Amino acid sequence: MVDAFLNASGREMSLKDKFFEFNWGFLLLIFAIAAMGLAMLYSVAEGNFDPWASRQAVRFGIGVCVLFVVAFVDIRVWMNLAYPAYGVALALLVGVEFIGFRGMGAQRWIDLGFIQLQPSELMKITLILALARYFHGLTLDQVSRLRFLVVPALMIGAPFYLTLRQPDLGTAMLIAIVGVVLLFMAGLAWRYFIIGGLAAIGAVPVAWGMLHEYQKQRVLTFLDPESDPLGSGYHILQSKIALGSGGVFGKGFMEGTQSHLNFLPEKHTDFIFTMLAEELGLVGGLTLLGLYVMVLMFGLTVGLQTRNQFGRLLAIGITVNFFLYIFINTAMVMGLVPVVGVPLPLVSYGGTAMLTLMLGFGFLMSVYIHRNYEITRNPGAFW
Amino acid sequence: MVGRSKQTQSEAAPRLGHDLIARPRFAAPRNKTMPEMTRLDSGRRRIMLTVVMFAMAFAVVTGRLVVLGMAPGSGGDRLVAIADNVGPIQRRDIVDRNGEVMATDIITASLYADARKVMDAQETARLLAQALPDLDQASLEEKLSGNRAFVWLKRDMTPREQVAVHNLGQPGLAFQREQKRVYPNGSVAAHVLGGVDIDNHGIAGIEHYIDRSDATTGEPLVLSLDLRVQHALQTELQIAVDEFSAIGATGVVLDIHTGEVIAMASLPDFDANDPGSASDRARFNSATLGVYEMGSTFKAFSVAAALNSGRVQLSTEYDAREPIRVSRFTINDYHAQKRFLTVPELFMHSSNIGTAKMVLELGREEHRSFLGQLGLLTRTDIELPESGRPLLPGTWTDVSAMTISYGHGLSVTPLQVVAANATLVNGGFGVQPTFLRRDGAVPRARVLTTETSDAMRALYRLVVERGTGRSADVVGYPVMGKTGTAEKARAGGYARNALLTSFLSAFPANDPKYAMLIMFDEPQATENTYGYATAGWNAAPVTSRVVQRIAPILGLRPVQSWSSPVQSASFATAE
Repeated sequence: MVDAFLNASGREMSLKDKFFEFNWGFLLLIFAIAAMGLAMLYSVAEGNFDPWASRQAVRFGIGVCVLFVVAFVDIRVWMNLAYPAYGVALALLVGVEFIGFRGMGAQRWIDLGFIQLQPSELMKITLILALARYFHGLTLDQVSRLRFLVVPALMIGAPFYLTLRQPDLGTAMLIAIVGVVLLFMAGLAWRYFIIGGLAAIGAVPVAWGMLHEYQKQRVLTFLDPESDPLGSGYHILQSKIALGSGGVFGKGFMEGTQSHLNFLPEKHTDFIFTMLAEELGLVGGLTLLGLYVMVLMFGLTVGLQTRNQFGRLLAIGITVNFFLYIFINTAMVMGLVPVVGVPLPLVSYGGTAMLTLMLGFGFLMSVYIHRNYEITRNPGAFW
Repeated sequence: MVGRSKQTQSEAAPRLGHDLIARPRFAAPRNKTMPEMTRLDSGRRRIMLTVVMFAMAFAVVTGRLVVLGMAPGSGGDRLVAIADNVGPIQRRDIVDRNGEVMATDIITASLYADARKVMDAQETARLLAQALPDLDQASLEEKLSGNRAFVWLKRDMTPREQVAVHNLGQPGLAFQREQKRVYPNGSVAAHVLGGVDIDNHGIAGIEHYIDRSDATTGEPLVLSLDLRVQHALQTELQIAVDEFSAIGATGVVLDIHTGEVIAMASLPDFDANDPGSASDRARFNSATLGVYEMGSTFKAFSVAAALNSGRVQLSTEYDAREPIRVSRFTINDYHAQKRFLTVPELFMHSSNIGTAKMVLELGREEHRSFLGQLGLLTRTDIELPESGRPLLPGTWTDVSAMTISYGHGLSVTPLQVVAANATLVNGGFGVQPTFLRRDGAVPRARVLTTETSDAMRALYRLVVERGTGRSADVVGYPVMGKTGTAEKARAGGYARNALLTSFLSAFPANDPKYAMLIMFDEPQATENTYGYATAGWNAAPVTSRVVQRIAPILGLRPVQSWSSPVQSASFATAE
């Protein structure tokens, strides 16, 4: 009977249809992960909602609203807004870089009152939108033609260069990885990746020669953790102790000694996973990872099911972005990769990450709701 | 997931993956164009590749988590022990008698360099000097060159400075977590607290005591001080120092029954967090380390000695008509009455002549041993290392006994005077001053008879009611005490215009609980004092102001009025 509402020729869904199409189970997953995060923030503050858990809850609430609004807007509207959104984000990035906020420290935020948004975070989402929009308009043959690669190269290169200038090597790399993953998903021929990989390896000595002396030293510092001034060796040691001391079932909620005795750095933000593993043990850690896996599976399933290229690329891009957060953060606290400032999604305290994640999930849900829409390669304006 | 990769977008597709998350209700249209098919099919294979990569990444992370989580016994305990040793041992906090924090430790970072790892000493020094402008670039460069594995560059940095250095990203620089002693109340009680050196070892005051005691860590050390009283005392003294343009001031408040120091101030003072920038005079503790000729306040001890002997009564009279000439000295009265004076009168009018004669009658050795019993002749054993040794005359002759009787020729610390005064008014028991709160019973040894102590209370009160100390009184909290104005000793004699004025007191007079000394170093006359700079015009009124402020804090109840019981007995004849 539902078939009657829509067919390939594009009969529209009503808001009621969308409401039924909305995947409430997915929302439940998001709530479960956020609840674990809030419980940890409550524990970090020695059993207080202030100062972290209460504010994080408010942000999550705002994030859920954003998710609903974004999800119920027609996917074709987002498609039409993809380039303008990218343009705005790029302008903000340029603006932050060249015009304002160049005060002491790395104040590269836009203050929205309840959170401070980093344009580079917004950039990642809009880059996915724009690349998805671009490749939607190409046939599989065209994707691998060199002249069609100029535009996406610029799309990725501009924000990459701008964030590298900040200098924020970590975010720049993430932008590049998300961009390359989208190229891969769009079906760019394998030869490009092989050639590109070889070229990158070959370029290392050349690039090394072009670096300033202090930049070289910065890279060496990064590669040699022992000389890291903040003592990342200390962070990692403490982090591993905390992970190990939890055992299988943990020390119990609010009973973690390593974290509560302040041995752990940044325990409410980037290192919150260690605290979770200490207090809730292996079981708690695996539960959280399991919840993340389910979110990722949903994202990839949406990618598989979606019948329009824009939605598919958007879903994959957002899922990969989410995956990178999880992987880099957990690998970092376990000492598998160097210490970089990447939050644990939906769990770490922080406004920008929360809002951009929920925005991304909004797009994912919009793709899911409208997954059966077929959109021609070069659609006219849809409003 | 991987196994289902070959599914096509037919009716079966919606069942793919999670039951929870895949519930499409819209059937797929059946006709599609071939290019779209290939494009979606190509993407599908690549998604599957992504799934494989995701799975591998999660396998690594999960495996690592399991390895770390399953082996808590092997490495865990040892590593926790290492964690405990990071940074120096934390010093115990210092709190006042009510538990208010007076000194505590915060964690800071100190910057050091491993010169062997520094790649470009010149560049690193330049960047460091930019980030930390108070460091000298040339000396930094010298430290960073060479092969030393460890050299301090800057201790106890602020978080802002640490971030600035961290952001330089220079190899060879590293931070050591350290503890820094912090005194949240700044200059309040700075002389009592003392200070620590850069390695957090106590070097002065109570901090030094902590290092000497058995426990340097653990429970906070509870002082006898009351932060509120201390602050009131210090504030009033500072106001007075400004008002009278004095070089300095000293104040001590002591519990006369337990010997606990409730407040102790020495002005000028210093910020305990930054003793280095203070002058030597400001760091000097005039209350416990400085020794002074106290002047007329000492007459209280002379009178008490005489009365306690039993051979002198309140009604005993002394001839104060003429100055005493002994060899080359002449003993004069400042407020000369030129008649016979009873003991209350000579005390009230502060007669040097009468007091000297009284002590001569008592005998110099008995006078001396009495002062010794009050603890005025030997160094007082207190927690602070800063305890002054009294300056005694070379030989204790009759002349020295006479001058000492009115406070010249013997130098003692203000704290000793207050402690001795406590004995005079507490019923006659010896007092051991302390800076730590006493919780148990205090051992009491009798030094004076109860009668002598009662008489001293009455005499002290008389000075405030009718003598030189009238401006010290407080409505509701009767004060008793004795003024003292001493000329400061200079090379070859005494300076007429450099005075040391003091008011030695106890309150409330109806039931004494606290003894106090207020002392000014070279106060000047002002318009309001009609050109006088003696104790009655500065030390006494400041005593009144301090009592007004601290008596309510100390929980004392105001009384209607209270008069010295001596008046009727021995006064009528004299006047």
